[in-house]
Parts: sequence; structure tokens; C-alpha cells
Amino acid sequence: MSSKTTFIGAVEIGTSKVTALIGEYTGREIVIIGCGECSSRGVIKGSVVDYRAATECTHNALEIAERDANERIDHVYLAQTGGHLEGFYNEASLNVKAADNMIEMDDIRTVCDLAKAKELPLGRMVVHNIRRPFRVDGRLVPTSPENLVGQKLEVGYWTVHGQEQRLADNIHVIRGFNLEVRELVLSSLASGHMVTSMEERQNGVLAIDIGAGTTDYVLYRNGAPHTTGVAAVGGGHFTNDISIGLRLTEGQAEKLKLRFGRALVQSRDKSEKVWLDGNFSIGDRQFSRQAIENITAARAWELLEVVKKKLGHAFSPETCAGGVVLTGGGAKLPAIAECAAKVFGTSARLGEAPTWVNENLRDPGFHTALGILYYGVSVQSDRTATARRKGGFLRNVTRLFAST
Amino acid sequence: MSKDTHTLPDTRTWREIPQQVRPRAMSIEGRRRMTMGVMRVAIGSAVILGVSWGVWEMAGVLRENPDSMPEAAKADRVRSLVLVTDGVLDKNWLAKTLAVAPDATLMGLDLNQMRQRVLADAQVSSAAVIRNFPDTLVVRISERSPVARMMAQAGGAAPKMLLIARDGAAFAGTGFDPAMVETLPWIDGIRLSRVAKGLAPIEGMRAVSDLLASAKLEAENLYRTWKVISLAHLSTDGEIEVYTRDGMKIIFGTKEDYLRQIARLDLLVDESKDPTRPLRVVNLALGAQVPVAYGTAAPTLGNPPSETLNAQSARPQVAFPSISNPHIDIHREL
Repeated sequence: MSSKTTFIGAVEIGTSKVTALIGEYTGREIVIIGCGECSSRGVIKGSVVDYRAATECTHNALEIAERDANERIDHVYLAQTGGHLEGFYNEASLNVKAADNMIEMDDIRTVCDLAKAKELPLGRMVVHNIRRPFRVDGRLVPTSPENLVGQKLEVGYWTVHGQEQRLADNIHVIRGFNLEVRELVLSSLASGHMVTSMEERQNGVLAIDIGAGTTDYVLYRNGAPHTTGVAAVGGGHFTNDISIGLRLTEGQAEKLKLRFGRALVQSRDKSEKVWLDGNFSIGDRQFSRQAIENITAARAWELLEVVKKKLGHAFSPETCAGGVVLTGGGAKLPAIAECAAKVFGTSARLGEAPTWVNENLRDPGFHTALGILYYGVSVQSDRTATARRKGGFLRNVTRLFAST
Repeated sequence: MSKDTHTLPDTRTWREIPQQVRPRAMSIEGRRRMTMGVMRVAIGSAVILGVSWGVWEMAGVLRENPDSMPEAAKADRVRSLVLVTDGVLDKNWLAKTLAVAPDATLMGLDLNQMRQRVLADAQVSSAAVIRNFPDTLVVRISERSPVARMMAQAGGAAPKMLLIARDGAAFAGTGFDPAMVETLPWIDGIRLSRVAKGLAPIEGMRAVSDLLASAKLEAENLYRTWKVISLAHLSTDGEIEVYTRDGMKIIFGTKEDYLRQIARLDLLVDESKDPTRPLRVVNLALGAQVPVAYGTAAPTLGNPPSETLNAQSARPQVAFPSISNPHIDIHREL
């Protein structure tokens, strides 16, 4: 083993499952050597509500991953989601100081500090500061404006913040395994980066990660994240609606959703029936396929409408040439891409993991964990390559989500 | 720009959340990992300490007992001897003193024994013997400088000349220029004694050395006439007696400044140029009062004691019988 080899851990504590991945990073490439998955308990809508249960299943997943990798890790990158996460945009402008109007590093630093400085309500903490491209006299500058000539320098930040206690709960679950949380990574940023290409991000693309309890989304523009958000609705609500509508247990409803649910109603025959189990066992019942499709389609439409509403004016088909990319466990619902295309009025497709990802990990449910691992690699390579430079966090986020 | 960066609000980030967690809140696996971590640190420290101790011990063993070295380490033979000195001893003396066997290997040499051999010659005041791999033995020495000389005779053996250093060490004096040795005054009135490793240092030589140095520096014309220095009354009266080539006896006191005494002597010698009344005794040990005794005839030049030792008939015609016998017997104490 090379002395440069480092082991990177990525953990996603989701509402339906906990995923842990371990990657071996050699300085040039990453090899996923361990994967652990465990059904989630004690987590509702991405927030820990039962510490003991959440700890148990998270630690199980970590143990499986470590056993699979046959290596021990000492830190992880943790996905962060939940309805408590919110974002706002704040921008600042600055008159260039130099007599010849040439922008210096000091000007950039000052305008960035001004744009990031916004007092948060009590109990709220910043999770990410995502910088949008600079503008020099109204001209868009995607990279650093240093040494450009102009009179006015502007920059804006999309700041994601969350509730302190919820963030602390997630961190403490990991600390309970005696692991350090190196970074918190927004789930939407992680999965969005995995399923979209650089070109799509440049042209504008909306990535939607439909989880069991929450739906995370990120809108890219000009190659960088423009807006992120979390809708407290997920695939679990589809199951819940089927359960209530057809008077079934949650397990039965989940089974029907997975087998017959669709995001658009296809069945025209009201009399078409489907069996609950289909094995002629006692208690097996028949249900109308159209009824199931009606419920799931209505829910899917509603979920996507919620996302569209939350995006507001930030999204328009004209500024989102890349369309909509769907990922997460909920994206496995048939016809969800067509449904999204109708809701957003643009093209839509299902997200796919990059070609280098192993076949076993290409399921949409792994996209977030893979994105976190990729983020960890970027941080690690940035640390080793530019260990002398400071200000890592902002640079890492910018580097990861602004370029391939 | 409406805001000053110095007054920006302090935004809190998730990094401010403390990552410490109570052991009770940890899972069994977490506690096990923590314990393992502590144990790893403890075992690592113990291993480092153990290895360091082992290296120290091994170095000690090799230093004390080179025979315990593996055969491979003894393979190189000594091909050259290097002497680094601040004196007159040369490589031949070194080769003779060390007597290294032709097939001796560098690691096979007992450096402590080599050093003792070098130090056995009282001319060497300090020595260091160093292995310079692969095949060179380096000996660094510091030598004593002679300030006087004496004749010594052990038992019935022939008398031989010894040089005396400032610290009282008496040595044969290898490699010194004979012309330089001729200028050194003789020491008289002492008894040498033998100790375990050679001769015991002569007491009072520091005082004599200071007197000779002062005289050589301030009145070299007088110093050149000094032939014999007697320490017979040094320990009892604190007096150093000097006999000149022309038979004059000068008594110096060790309690008074030598420079002042030499100045008085110089004045007296200058003032007493009458050949009919030569100075015979000058006592400078009594302070400002300097008793002087004059002779009646010009004294006969005496021969050096080395010449008189073997032939009583050739002894100088001096007026003071107290130094008439410069033979010195070595008193064997051990």
C-alpha cells in the first residue's frame, strides 16, 4: 500500500436506509472498497428522532462497510438533508480600490466576506456557502476576476443553513462510532453532481433527488449551483397515500407502490385488477390498477409541483436548457421523468451514475453516497496538492461544484 | 459598499458544533474503537520506547565489549594510523607506543587499552582514540610543554634527563629540539616518588613555572644566566633558590609578586658591576629589604649538573655547598 493512500468514508443517513461507502484514494484515482447498507430506523424526514435506533443502524452500516473494505477509517463525510435546511441569497458589491481599476485579491476577499456576512436567526448554523459567479461591471466572470479591470465588483452567495440541534444530532450519531465528521455535504449537491454533466450544469439543469422522506433539489446555472432546497415530501408519502386510500398496512402499500405505481396514469380500464401478493395465499386481495396509478400519479405530480413552487422565479425552462434530472429511490417510479417534463415544461430524464461506478452501485439510491465520496476525494486531493494554501472549505465547495 | 468588513456579523457554521461525545452515548463498537485507539497509542509508544532502549543497550554493549560484535563487523584491518597533535610527537612514536598487530582489525581493537598506552607517556596530557571506518585509527593528543629539566637515577641504573612540565609531570621528552632543551634550567632539591602509573607530579612546579615565565618575559638577560632552580626550601620557607652560571644565589619568595622581585634583582645586578666585589647572595624573599652578600673574587663558571653528576671532580666551584650534589634519587614509595 502506498504511503499516499487514504481511506475516505461517506455516510448518508436517510429516512429509509443508511448507506456507508469506503473509498481507497491513491492520489490519482478512487476505488470503492467497502459498502454497507442498513434499513433506517429512528429517522423521519432526514432528521434523527430516536438517537439509539438511528445510532444502531448507522453503526451497523459502518461496520459492514469496514468489514467489506477490511480497513478502518477515522473520519467520514456526512450527507445532510432534512426539512430544517433552508437557503437564502445574499449579494454584495464593491468599488475597485486600485487607481487603475485592476481587481486585486484583497478586493475579491472583501466582497466575498461582505456577501457571506448575514446574521442568522438564533439556533441556525451555516452548512454551505455556495458562491455564484462574479460580475465585473455587470459582466459575468465564471472564474476569479483577479487582474481584470473594472469599476464595480459584485458577487452573490447562496447560503444553506440548518437548525443547530438537528445538525448536532447527525454529527453525534457518527461520533458515537468514534469517527470524526470531516465535512457536512448537502445531499442535493452530492447527488446532483453525480448525475449531471459539466455541460448540463453550464447550460442550466435541475437535479431532483427523491428520497423516502425528503426531496432534495439543486438548480445549476452557469456551471455552478444556483439554488438548493429540500421539500419535506418523499417516496414515503406515496406509500402512505396508498395505505390510507386502499386501507392497507404500510408494508402492503409499499409492495403495491413498487409493483404497480406510476407517475402518470396509463391504465384506461377501471376494471383491471391486480393482486396484492399474487400467490393465492389467505388474505390476498385484488385492487384496481387504475386506483393505484391515480394515487401515485397525483402524489408524484404534487411532489414535483412543490419543488417547482419552492424554486419560484429561479427556475424557468428558458434558463434550464439541460432540463430536469431525477435521482434517488423515488426516481425509480415508472414514468416519473415524463411527469417531471410535463410539470416543469422542459425535458426530463433519469439520472445515471458515471461510467466508472461499479454495476452494483449504479442504483439511484447510491447516488448521494457516491457524490459525497467524490466530494471527499476532491477535498483530499485539494489538501495534498495545496496543503500550504488556506481557506479550504469555500475553495473545495467551489472547485467541486463549479467544475468537473 | 455600505458595510465595513470589520463590523460584519459573526456567522456561525456547523463546525462550531463540538464533536466530543460522552462514552455513554457511544455504541459498544464505538467504545471498543475508542479503547483500541488508546491502546494503539499506548502500544506504539511502548514499542518506540522499547526499540530506543534496545538501541541504547546495543550501543553500550558494542562500546564496552567489541568482541560481542558479529564477525562481519570485524573484517576491516587497520591500514593507517593518523596522529593529530599540538606538540612534537610523531607517527613513529605512535606506532611504537600502540604496537598494533599487522593483522589487527579496526573493530577488534580495544580503544580504551590503546588510549591507556598513549597516556602512559607523561608527555601526553590527554588523548582520544577514534575508529575512522573503514580502516583508519585516529589518535588525537594534547602534549605537555617542558619548563625545566632534571637528572634522575632509578636504583643502580644510569642517570637520565627528564623534562618537567608546568603541572609537575616529569617525562622523557621525545622529539624536542636539543637546542631548546639546553636552554631549560635544572631543577634541584626534590625527591621523585613513583606511583602506580609512573612518577608522581613534582609539587610546587606551578610557582617555579610562573617565576621562570616572568623572568623569561621581563628580564631575559637574567633568565639566560639561571642554571639551577632549587626547591629545597619551597615547601618549608616558601623560597625558590636560583643559582646562576656565575655562582650567584638568588632567593625568591613565593608570597610576593615575581615581577617586582625580578625588577629589584635587575636593579641590583645593574648597580653592582664591580668585578672585584661580585654579588654572591641576593635574598629577594624579604620584601623591600634585600640582603646582599658580596664575594671577593670572580667566580668560576660552573658546568651543567648533568655533566657534574657523573664526575664529582668536574663539579662547579660554587660558594654554596647546599646545591653541590644535584643527584636525585628516586624514592620508591610503592
